[in-house]
Amino acid sequence: MDTAGSQIILSIRDVTKSFPGVRALNGVSIDVRRGMVHGVVGENGAGKSTLMKILSGVYKKDTGTIVFDGKTIDHTTPYESMHRGLAIIYQELNLVNSMSVGENIFLGRFKEMKGMRGTHAKARELLDSIGCKVSTTKLVSELSVSTKQMVEISKALSFQSKLIIMDEPSTSLTGEEMSLLVKIIHQLKAQGISIIYISHKLEEIFDFCDVVTVMRDGNVIDTKPRGEFTRDELITKMVGRTIENEYPERSRQVGETLMEVKGINTRKLHDVSFTLRKGEILGLVGLVGAGRTETVRAIFGADRVRGHKVTIGGKPVTIHNPKQAKDAGLGLIPEDRKLQGLVLPFSVEQNISMASIDRFTRFGFLIKSLEKGIGARHVKSLGIKTPNTKVAIKNLSGGNQQKCIVGRWMEIGPSIFIMDEPTKGIDVGAKYEIYLLMKEIAEKGGAVILISSELPEVLNMSNRVLTIYDGRITGEFDPEHIPADVIMRAALGLGGAS
Amino acid sequence: MNNLYRLFTQQKAIVAIAVILLVMVAAGGDVSRIFFSSYNLLDMLNSSTILVILGLGVTLTVIAGGCDLSIGGILVVSGILSIQLQNFMPMPLALVLAVLFGTLVGFFNGFLVVQQKTEPFIITLGVGLLLTGVAQQLSDAHPVPANNPDFMNISNGYQFGDGQFTEGHFPGIPNLVIIMLICFVFFAWLIRYTSFGRNLYAIGGDYDVARYSGINVVANKWMTLVISGTMAALGGVLLSSKLNTGSAIYGDFTALVVNCGVVVGGTSFAGGVGGIWQSVLGLLLFGLLDNAMNVLNIPSWYQMMLKGTVIVAILWMDSYTQKRKRELV
Repeated sequence: MDTAGSQIILSIRDVTKSFPGVRALNGVSIDVRRGMVHGVVGENGAGKSTLMKILSGVYKKDTGTIVFDGKTIDHTTPYESMHRGLAIIYQELNLVNSMSVGENIFLGRFKEMKGMRGTHAKARELLDSIGCKVSTTKLVSELSVSTKQMVEISKALSFQSKLIIMDEPSTSLTGEEMSLLVKIIHQLKAQGISIIYISHKLEEIFDFCDVVTVMRDGNVIDTKPRGEFTRDELITKMVGRTIENEYPERSRQVGETLMEVKGINTRKLHDVSFTLRKGEILGLVGLVGAGRTETVRAIFGADRVRGHKVTIGGKPVTIHNPKQAKDAGLGLIPEDRKLQGLVLPFSVEQNISMASIDRFTRFGFLIKSLEKGIGARHVKSLGIKTPNTKVAIKNLSGGNQQKCIVGRWMEIGPSIFIMDEPTKGIDVGAKYEIYLLMKEIAEKGGAVILISSELPEVLNMSNRVLTIYDGRITGEFDPEHIPADVIMRAALGLGGAS
Repeated sequence: MNNLYRLFTQQKAIVAIAVILLVMVAAGGDVSRIFFSSYNLLDMLNSSTILVILGLGVTLTVIAGGCDLSIGGILVVSGILSIQLQNFMPMPLALVLAVLFGTLVGFFNGFLVVQQKTEPFIITLGVGLLLTGVAQQLSDAHPVPANNPDFMNISNGYQFGDGQFTEGHFPGIPNLVIIMLICFVFFAWLIRYTSFGRNLYAIGGDYDVARYSGINVVANKWMTLVISGTMAALGGVLLSSKLNTGSAIYGDFTALVVNCGVVVGGTSFAGGVGGIWQSVLGLLLFGLLDNAMNVLNIPSWYQMMLKGTVIVAILWMDSYTQKRKRELV
């Protein structure tokens, strides 16, 4: 595709931004052309999010110029930039859950829409234009992530946006939902709308981005039409070093049965039973909402489930709450890092040590030197990038935060490690390190239950894969010998259990 | 210098205390002399002690992400009980039972708030109201006088001296101040140096994360309300001893003042932040303000206005600096 032909809608020149102690952006220049999908890739902490937040007016830039649609923008607020035609769709979607779809699209503009009737009519029109069938009176809290995204896109369109920034839109989407999103992206493109597409998933970048910008450590490393990048080149430029493999070699020391789960029944789950062996990485594959997360939450005692049987090492155990799970040798890295994984007011050290508080307590006293040792040990062994262990956890990048949660459980050394989307929103380099950790846990005689929406990840890491569809286990596969599409069919409930 | 700046931006209560002290110095003449007399300073500390004792327990509940507004009700019921029970049993036993009453109410609060997951602010407010009603029933809406000098001596006695304020003579330290100091040290230790304390910060910081980390969230949070109830009852017993009377009216504003002092000190209702030191400063600020205004002879309606202004100003300044900090990052 000819990328030089169309007009520049957004021009970023030499933009810098410093935070106390960190240079987040270091003279960044990017041109985005009209009607192009412009992919932006980079590891966590590369400066992508900072740049987007400057564009949308959340942060102020230190120096540099930004020209959007012919106008120089010096100081802006999120409100102004929306009205100017620059919309941003955040990963964690900004919708009011307790309000309806139509109300969300025209939030604060009901008067312009001549009341609620006009609001819903116009919302209907916008949703139809992107092929979304959802009722405008439905509450946002009842929608799936994918539909919520459609609502966000409609909202962006309602401002006559000329540029839509999508920050990792695919993280919580299933394959099918993803292809719908791609369709909409193509449609927006055809209308002359530009899209900045931020993603960690290289497949997507190569699938539909026209131009790709690679960022690293606050610098733009390269901007080229997609066709001129090879996959390896892109990865190398992102991480600044060559990565041999995306996945480590599978561990091969699967032993006897470690855990047996029998008959989990809830409103969403139907007779879920399975076994887990020593040294094994067991993958759970299914659509979002199929019951993967519910299954592991039930085992971990995070949700109230009764009547199922769990045996570990041949002995029956009762797990009604996470504390009992921890005592039985289970560890959980929950699905949503920000909501379920981190205590934000705590420091790095306190976040790491919080599950193993007994280890540095004597007769109820905290022994701070021991705690410091625990923090320092895991920061070192997991390669967590932080100035020191006393830093507030919120100052770390997503990958490093995730490593802190891993460290929290490594200190306890659970024999069964449940990881729910452990690499969500994490860059390639950090992913590989998490993979190595999983393998290490398995090889030391433990076992890992892995849930991930990234099919290649599950298939490449697991020794065995269970597919879940609509709360039922629909199949058990050896991912080394069974092709991915067969497994996917089972996960989609299309039969073919083996 | 940097540290000093941080102290001032993070600890608004200290700024307010410093401002009040400066005003009292600037006032000069008799006002300064009276205010800074050892008698007045000790009296001020003495009259803040019960609020501080209540605040210690409340601080735990607030750090764990809750609050306790039933303390006013517990205070008056325990105060009245401590006197009335003495008619039936020896004094020490009566006092222990009066304090245990607070423990029991705290346990009940914990059941409602933590186990049944009700809204702590409203529920404890309701329990407090209920107990105030109970106190009026118990006392027949009249003050209940005590007639035991030993009982009165608990709060009014002095150690290391005779309590006489004469020139060149050390008056000693009031019992109440000593009790407060012991409680303060215990709570400061509890919160900073025990796993219980740390768990409270985790629970207040993020309840679910704490739960998923295998912390026994229900038991720990429940415990904060039990402790808070116990401390409120202890405060009630000490107050009755101090005034030699039990009455249902003493609790009227106490719960709000104490919770407010805790928050003004810097222990946010959001949970997971703050500490014992901060609460004590916040509560002492109120004692200081009251005393300064009395010495300055400010009419009571202006006193209320000033107090309200200080509360609003501190919380506003606090949010303002928080906001600035967020914008910087």
